Amino acid sequence: MFLALRELQHAKLRYLLIGFIMVLISWLVLFVTGLAQGLSSDNASSIQNMKADYLILQEESDHRINRSILTDEIWREIQRHPAGDHASPLGVHMNTLTKESSTAKFDAAFFAIDMASMMAPKVVEGTMINNTDAEHVMADRSLKDDGYRLGDRIVDQATGAAFTIAAFTEGQSFSHAPVIHLNFEGWKALQPSGSQQGTIYNAVALNGSPEQMDALAQDIYGIEIITKSKALQGIPGFQEEQGSLVMMIVFLFVIAAFVLAVFFYVITIQKMNQFGVLKAIGAGTGYLVRNLIFQVLTLTVVSLAISIGLTYGVSLLIAGVVPFSLTPSVVLLCSLLFLAVSLMGSLLSLYRVIKIDAIEAIGRAA
Amino acid sequence: MKQSKLMLDQVSKEFGDGDTSVKVLDRISLDIKSGEFVAVVGPSGSGKSTFLSIAGALLSPTQGRIWMGDHEVTKLSAKKMNQLRLSHIGFVFQSSNLIPYLTVRDQLLLIAKLAGQQGQEPKQRADHLLERLGLSHRKNHYPESLSGGERQRVAIARAWMNDPELILADEPTASLDSERGRTVVQMLADEVKLRQKAAVMVTHDKRMLDLCDRIVYIEDGKLSEQPQPILL
Repeated sequence: MFLALRELQHAKLRYLLIGFIMVLISWLVLFVTGLAQGLSSDNASSIQNMKADYLILQEESDHRINRSILTDEIWREIQRHPAGDHASPLGVHMNTLTKESSTAKFDAAFFAIDMASMMAPKVVEGTMINNTDAEHVMADRSLKDDGYRLGDRIVDQATGAAFTIAAFTEGQSFSHAPVIHLNFEGWKALQPSGSQQGTIYNAVALNGSPEQMDALAQDIYGIEIITKSKALQGIPGFQEEQGSLVMMIVFLFVIAAFVLAVFFYVITIQKMNQFGVLKAIGAGTGYLVRNLIFQVLTLTVVSLAISIGLTYGVSLLIAGVVPFSLTPSVVLLCSLLFLAVSLMGSLLSLYRVIKIDAIEAIGRAA
Repeated sequence: MKQSKLMLDQVSKEFGDGDTSVKVLDRISLDIKSGEFVAVVGPSGSGKSTFLSIAGALLSPTQGRIWMGDHEVTKLSAKKMNQLRLSHIGFVFQSSNLIPYLTVRDQLLLIAKLAGQQGQEPKQRADHLLERLGLSHRKNHYPESLSGGERQRVAIARAWMNDPELILADEPTASLDSERGRTVVQMLADEVKLRQKAAVMVTHDKRMLDLCDRIVYIEDGKLSEQPQPILL
């Protein structure tokens, strides 16, 4: 790309300026994306990391886990059903807790699970609890950052039930609160006193084909089956939070497309006479188009590389203060989108380049 | 027998259509042989630029046929015409029209690149051309730092780069004073003689005509030839 590189080199300031705008926009795109991802995992990583495709909730519960109540009876029915082979019940309870011998309060979500099932979280410190020990629980690592240690005792304010932290888990939060996993023996202590219904669950997680799910929903009365992503949307605030951030990202992409389109269009208009000369001396339209695309791509790739570096740099600075999470696959997706958008922005200029007639070069004293 | 480099046979060009059509060129015939340097003169609006565009395969004639060596230009597709321009024709435009972001040497190398030539050979050819036109010391300069005469000489070097059969010059002296203009045209004439190629120069600078072998006159789209150059 003989022409493209030499032009970039010669008109440094011009291309530096547009590169700078591109860096800022793509940096903002990546940063807001990271923030959206961070908030979403801070909000609901427990559901996101759950190794299940579907959740069974009570019907009319608006896809909200905390509104749904499934009785022991329904759970047994699900278990007996051929599609319910790999099902596992889940109890969710948002509570206010205190540390024993302290008055400082914090909110946490209790997740009651079968420790022997697919629902068991990954333990990063301490030992996994079993299904019979009602005394011990496993807490999310964010509690450790707040000063809790293995062996610390926490007390549920509403019922007075006390538990010992036996292990820390990773990536477990629900509705912006850390998740504390316990078994169903411990779960009993959290039930309202005087409850006659036996153990109550909020949801049942399971895997299977859509056909099996349809059969299950038909055969058992009073339940609805939703996908994991629907369940995420049902977490209070999740949709609103993500919606506003996604809107910002979409706008940034549109802005990037227009900034590039205008910039390259103006440059192309300025060079109309030059393109005429180039065509007259034998440069094909294809050659000129390839040069323009090469310029746009070079500019975009370099800007993206810089902004990816900046994004990760800043994410190190704010680690732990602001929820931020940006996986390489998301960066790749954003980068590809950005490339596509910048190419779209150059379409108008390409059209002008194709339309330029070599005859423009004759009889002009430009 | 001298080889014919450019032959126009009964070429006409009309612009517009129906009642409003304007005949810019009217049945022009011209045969240019190798070693000939032809000047095309005429008042403004006489059709000189259109003549040059048609001779340069930039514009198709309404009627008539054009041969360039063995190729009949009027039968070629747009893409083939593009290739023909690259390999057979060298252009020298008014006010040179160099590419502002290429150094003098790169202006010449671009032509080789467009023709798909790689390696050291084009570089040597470019250096050699620049040396002959007295531009070696300006090799790595950008057009903006050259004088008008130097720019026009670079344009001539660029036109010769792919060793074309025919040079078409569109008022190459328009932006130069007469002394420098004469040097530039002299260079063009010398190269034509030396390589036994052909050149057509559109001009209205009468002081340059003595350097040309033939002078053709265009008025109202009709072409007439004066038998001998008038020495002034």
